[in-house]
Parts: sequence; C-alpha cells; structure tokens
Amino acid sequence: MNYPVWFLPEIGGGMLMALIAITHVFISHFAVGGGLYLVMTEYKARRDNDYQMLEFIKKHSKFFMLVSMVYGGVTGVGIWFTIGLIQPDATSELIHTFVFGWAAEWVWFLVEIVALLVYYYKFDSMDERTHLKVGAIYFIAAWLSLFLINGIIGFMLTPGEWINDHNFWSGFFNPTFWPSLWFRFAIATLLAGVFAFFTTAFIDDKSFRYKMTRYSSLWCLVSMAVVIPTGYWYLQVLPSATQEIFSVSPTIANSVKVGAFASAAFIVLVTLCTLWKPKWHTLVTALLVASCALSMMGSFEWIREAGRRPYVINHQRYSNGIALSRVAELNNGFLSKARWSTVTQVDETNLEQAGAELFKFQCYACHTLDGINNDICSKTANSSFNGMVKYLSVMHERRPFMPPFIGTQIEKKALAAYLVGTLHGKEITIAPTATAANLGQQLLDDCTMCHGSDIIVDWAVGKTGEDVQNGLLNLSKLDSSMHDYSGSQAELDALASYLVNQSKGGTQ
Amino acid sequence: MISLVPTPDVLSMSRVYFDIFLLLTFPLHLILMNAMIGTTAIALWSHWRKDPVCERLAYQLAKTLPLLIALTINFGVAPLLFAQTLFGHYLYSSSVIIGVFWLGIIPVLLLVYFGAYLYDFKFWSLGRRGIPVLLLSGVLMLCIGFVFSSNMTLMLDPEAWTAYFNHSGGAFLNLSEATLIPRYTHMMIGACAVGGLAVACLSRLWQRNDADVAALGLTVGMRLFFAATCVQLVAGIWFLLSLPADILLLFMGRNMLASSVFIIALIVVVLVLRAAWNKRLGGSVWLTLSLIYLMSFMRAFVREGYLGKNFVTQLVTTNQDFSPLILFVVSLVIGLAMIAWMIKAAFNAQEGQ
Repeated sequence: MNYPVWFLPEIGGGMLMALIAITHVFISHFAVGGGLYLVMTEYKARRDNDYQMLEFIKKHSKFFMLVSMVYGGVTGVGIWFTIGLIQPDATSELIHTFVFGWAAEWVWFLVEIVALLVYYYKFDSMDERTHLKVGAIYFIAAWLSLFLINGIIGFMLTPGEWINDHNFWSGFFNPTFWPSLWFRFAIATLLAGVFAFFTTAFIDDKSFRYKMTRYSSLWCLVSMAVVIPTGYWYLQVLPSATQEIFSVSPTIANSVKVGAFASAAFIVLVTLCTLWKPKWHTLVTALLVASCALSMMGSFEWIREAGRRPYVINHQRYSNGIALSRVAELNNGFLSKARWSTVTQVDETNLEQAGAELFKFQCYACHTLDGINNDICSKTANSSFNGMVKYLSVMHERRPFMPPFIGTQIEKKALAAYLVGTLHGKEITIAPTATAANLGQQLLDDCTMCHGSDIIVDWAVGKTGEDVQNGLLNLSKLDSSMHDYSGSQAELDALASYLVNQSKGGTQ
Repeated sequence: MISLVPTPDVLSMSRVYFDIFLLLTFPLHLILMNAMIGTTAIALWSHWRKDPVCERLAYQLAKTLPLLIALTINFGVAPLLFAQTLFGHYLYSSSVIIGVFWLGIIPVLLLVYFGAYLYDFKFWSLGRRGIPVLLLSGVLMLCIGFVFSSNMTLMLDPEAWTAYFNHSGGAFLNLSEATLIPRYTHMMIGACAVGGLAVACLSRLWQRNDADVAALGLTVGMRLFFAATCVQLVAGIWFLLSLPADILLLFMGRNMLASSVFIIALIVVVLVLRAAWNKRLGGSVWLTLSLIYLMSFMRAFVREGYLGKNFVTQLVTTNQDFSPLILFVVSLVIGLAMIAWMIKAAFNAQEGQ
C-alpha cells in the first residue's frame, strides 16, 4: 500500500514470478554445478590424456556459457525487475537489509563472467594448469554467489533472530541457511549432469557417447542421493508454524505430488535410459530428464514460496506487502492511508468501488480475476454477501496461509460487496440484526464460502435435529478439509432446526 | 491528499556511503553501455561496406559484442542496487507505472544477446544476412535505452505519477515529459561518441594479428568519437535548456559545487575535442573517462534538484553495523585481484599463441 500495485488481473504477479524465477533458479543452479562439472571433467581428461573428453568439455563449455551467462544472467536481472514490480515493499526491505550482501554477490557474479569468458575463449591457447585454475575460480565464484543468495532467500522463509535484533548476520545465517545451502548445492551438481546430457546426445562416436552419458548419470544419481537427506534436514529445521502451513495448504499439497512424481520419474529415467542403457539416450531423453528436473525444482520453489504464507517475509510482512507493524493502525481505516487508492473514504454508496481497491491492495498479490493462478472468481462463486463478510473476519483462522483482512468493518463489507456483488452480480443486502427467527439462516451463510447451501440442506434430508447437530459437530469426519462446528449451543440449536425445517421444504 | 511518494526504508548506514558507491559504479556501466552501442554502430557500418578489411573489422567487433553485453549487464547491477537503496521509493513507483515496458526490457535484452551471439558465431555463414540480425539487436538496444530514460525521468517527477490512476496495468510511457527526448538523445549520442573511442582502443589489440583492421578501427573509431562529440555539444545544450529553470540555475551559480563541476566539464569537453582532432588516443581516453564521471556528478545534481521538491527524509538506523560493508569490500578486493590475474593470464596466453 506504500507503493502502487501493478494490476494485471488475469495474469497476476505470482504467475510472472513463477515464469521468470523458476526458470532462472533452474539455470542459476546449473551455473554453479556446471562449473564444477567442467573443471573436474577437464582435470580428468588432462590427467588421462583423453583428447576426446577434452574436446567434449570444450564443446560443453560453449553450451554452458550460452545458457548460464545469457539466459541465467539476463533472467537474474529479470528477477530483480519482477520482484520490484510485484512486491516493492518487500523488495525494498530486502535491499535495505542486505545491500552489502547483494553487493558482494555482484562482485562474485562479475568474477564468474570474467572467468567463464577466459575459460571458453582461451581453452586452446592457455596452458593446462592456468586454464584449470581459471575453471576453479569460476566454480568458487559461482559457489560464493550461491552462498550469499542462499542466506538472503532463506531469510525470507526463516528470518530467525533477525525479527528481534534486526542484525544482518542474524538474518543471513538464519535457521535454514546450512540445510538449504547443501540442498541447493546438491541440486546444482545434479543439474550439471542433467545439462551435460544435451551435449552427450550429440557425440558422434558411439562408445564415447555411452561413456560420457554414464559419467553424467553418475553426477545425477550421486547428487540425488545427497538431495534426499539434505531436503529432509531442511524440512526438519522449519518452524512448527511453517510445517503446519505445509500440512494445510492445497498449493503445497499439489506441489508435493508434482515434485514426488517428477523425482521418481527422474530416477527411473536416469537409471534406465542413461546409466543402464546409454544407447537409449537421445535428445528426447535429455529433454525428458530436464523436464523432470525442472518440475522437481519448480515444485520445491513453489513449496518454499507457499510455505512462507501468509507472509512474504516471515513474521515481518504479509504476502500482500503489509508490514505487521502497521496492522493495528490500518485496522482503524485502511483506504484512508492507502496513498495509491482512488477511493479513500468508504460509505454505503461506494461499497463496491472501495471493495475493488481493497481487492487490489489486499488480495491481488495471490489471487487473479478469472486467471489460471488462484482465481478468486471460482473461489467466491458460492458465497453470499453476509457469508463473505463473516468469512473475511475468520479467513486467516480457517486458512492459516492467508493474511487477515485489514481495515474497518465497513471496509470489510466493501470487499465482500466487490467479491460477491461486482464479481458475481449477487444481491448486496446487509443482514438484519440476528433474531431467533433468522439466526439459523444467518449461520448457514458461514458455510457458503466453500459450498452452496443447497448441499447442506440435501445432507439434512431425513435427519433428526439431533443427527444434524451431531453431524455439524463432526464435520471434519465428513470431509477432512472442514472444521467442526464451533459456535454456542444456542446457535447450534438454531442452525440444526433451520436445516431440518429447510430439508422438509420449509420456508422459515 | 496523501503524497504519492512512498515512505522509504531505513538506511543501514549514512547515505554518503551509498552515494559514493553509486557515483563510482554508474559511470562504469555507462562506459560499457556506450562501448556496446558504438561497437554495434561501427560493426553495422563496416559490414555494410563491401570491402574485405571492413568485413574483417565487423567480424572483430562481432566477437567483442557479446562480451560487452555481458559486462554492461553486470555493471548495471551495482548502480541499480545502490540507486534502489537511495531512491527505491521513487524508482519502484515509477517502474510499476511503466511496468509493461520496464519488465519488457528482459525479453528484449535476451533477444539482443542472442542476436549478438548469432552474429558472432555465424558471422561468415550468414554473410550479408548478418546485417539485419545485428540491426535488430541494435534497434532493440536503443529501445531499452528509451525505456530507461523514460523511467529515470518519471521517477524524478512524482506529480506525473497520477498517470497510475488511469494506467494501473503499467502500459504507460512518460512521453509528455519535456526532458525525455533531449535526455535520451544526449545519452545515445554520447554512447556513439564513447563507443567510437572504445572501438579505437580495441583496435590496439588487433594490431599484431591484422594491422589493416587495427588501422581501420582506429580511424573509424576516432572519427566517430570526434563527430559525435561535436553533435553532443548541441544535444547537451538542448538537454540542459530543457531542464526546469530552478534546476538549470543550479549550474548557473545557484549551487557553487554544481556550477564548478559544470565549468570543469565544459573545459574538459574542449580538451577532449582537441585530443580527438589530433588523434591522440591515450589523451582522449583519460579525458573522456574524466568527462563521464563529471557528467555523472552533474546527473546527480539534476536528480537532487528534482527530488528536492518532493523530499522525503530517509532515516538512518541508530545501530550502524559496518561488518556487512567489510564483507563487500573484502569480496571486492579479492574479486578484483582474481580478475586481474585472469586477465593477465589471458593476455599471456594470447602472447604465447
């Protein structure tokens, strides 16, 4: 809210971030592991006087340079641009906290570029020892880049003691620093093997192609053997609140499935088609293996991002960029303090217009409008206006990966009016004060955020009031994603009696 | 109404440090960007001429261009980092307002890069067809420059930010800004001048392998340098006069430091022209480097002049910790030592070859 929101309702910032970040992360890890692969393979080739292998590594270094320096370098800048556009508040906080960490990372990025250019362009003219030293410098610089960025990325998920002391080193050496570093390094060496398959696929000499394909398979499988325990270690050091998010977030559940399938397919493909039967290895195999690795990497990054929710910087700033330190102040009036809002005052006459602005500042960071990623329209299709107003009050409790609504009661109604009235054309009627006569109906509105009321009425058909009450108290047994009813006994009585009445075709 | 200028984050130490790093690193990016554009321009010219020496010059430049792009990008990172630290609250806001074009820089830059590599690796097989490939890369480089100029002018003018309320999707360019075209013209003509000088310098490296190409590169580079610097005199005055009066007056005596820098810069321009006319490469290089730094200082005065109207106090933390700065400085010293060693080793390898 301190900054304008770049509003692309059908696309959403998350999708842009995913497109640029996941592909960049994929290539940038390759840039680290690939450096080790180059220098170790060159060393082996020179030690064994294997000119065929030396020629292979020269060819591979050209591919490596084009992929890592061109695509990796440009998309690295692209991530800066993207996060500055979709999360300016959090980006500014990261930059201000770690400015000299980033600056040191820039130095190593520069060393990487110079080393890689010298390595490739002087492959034939430089003496062996010096050339290997240049390769080693490349790898050291790339690894130090990983070391530095790992600290900053880890900070966003687990800021640790930084929350209390705001000290650079507390944030940098955060609780996930070491497991994440070794996990990422193992991924990097795994990707070195994955990308080498592209070069090995084009080797003409059959026996040499088999040899280098097998050699690259070992890089993949040995790395995979390190990825699994370091990944487990990483999960173990996550705070309990984050682990809880892992267990309830549907985004994470889906990503875990994708990651698990991709990992299994990766192991099978590499073991069968490149290690056991390298003659089966072709460009198609290389593409399939790379797709599996990209899915593994993508699901890991997606899980890491989703695991931070409802924060963008854990316990410091919500996913929508609002700092926790400002919540109390903003609960007295959000729009009046939102410098980039077209509406600053809300009343009964401009509810939907104000709601549109609130959506932009509080929901759009994660939700799209009719987009692919986390579409809000489909998620709110069943809800009534009053149900939505109530839901917005408890949203962060029902879905702990979502930030709370921040603002006044009338602003909450404004957002509900937009989500239900503007998006779905439903009637916006503020519920009258609850009475014994209408309490049941009002309570039923609570359910409409997730499903239509007709489903509940159908469920109540043929049941007694007592059966309905028991059912409501054990909703989690009906569906694990539901919470057991938790209102007062009087409310439970009212709701059960309303449902029984409705199931018999009543009009009350 | 609340000001649109966001509240900045707290600085981890005095802004002087960040100012110094910004002023030190930005001209390096500028020099490389200029070399990239000048190299492209001369490569296009020499490839267009159906002369074997010209063609070989184009090939030498084709081999250099991807390296210059890589270094231009890298040296853009540091000033962008320090600019975000000092002016992020302006820069993020203006970037969001032109978001489509700002993020569009990334795919365009990828095309520029791939075009340059294609031109390099396939130079002989592409033949004359290489010209449109490089031309496309060159035009896209100019487009990127234009988006940068648009953003840099928009960030200085928070009053123009109200455009956001009609363009929240980021499809906006600050075209009505009076200084945009003069500023962009000034930057691009300067790029041609410095680029010409860069090609003249690079020619020295080709002396041993191809004396004809080296001589042609030197001549063409110095000519472009001299001609573009003459045009730059006009473009520079145009840009200066397009500035709002209160900012222009900073250089006319209202701010003694800014005025002194301006006068010194004018003297250096005359010396640069004399050195270029006399074809003194070494003198031209040192004087131009000084001029670029002086121009960067003037640019900083212009920026401060604009932002002074919308000044937002940027707090500095009370618990200043110098250890992260030490991390950076130590990394820089070790990194530069490694780079120096590698460059020396590369030249030794060239000698040996």
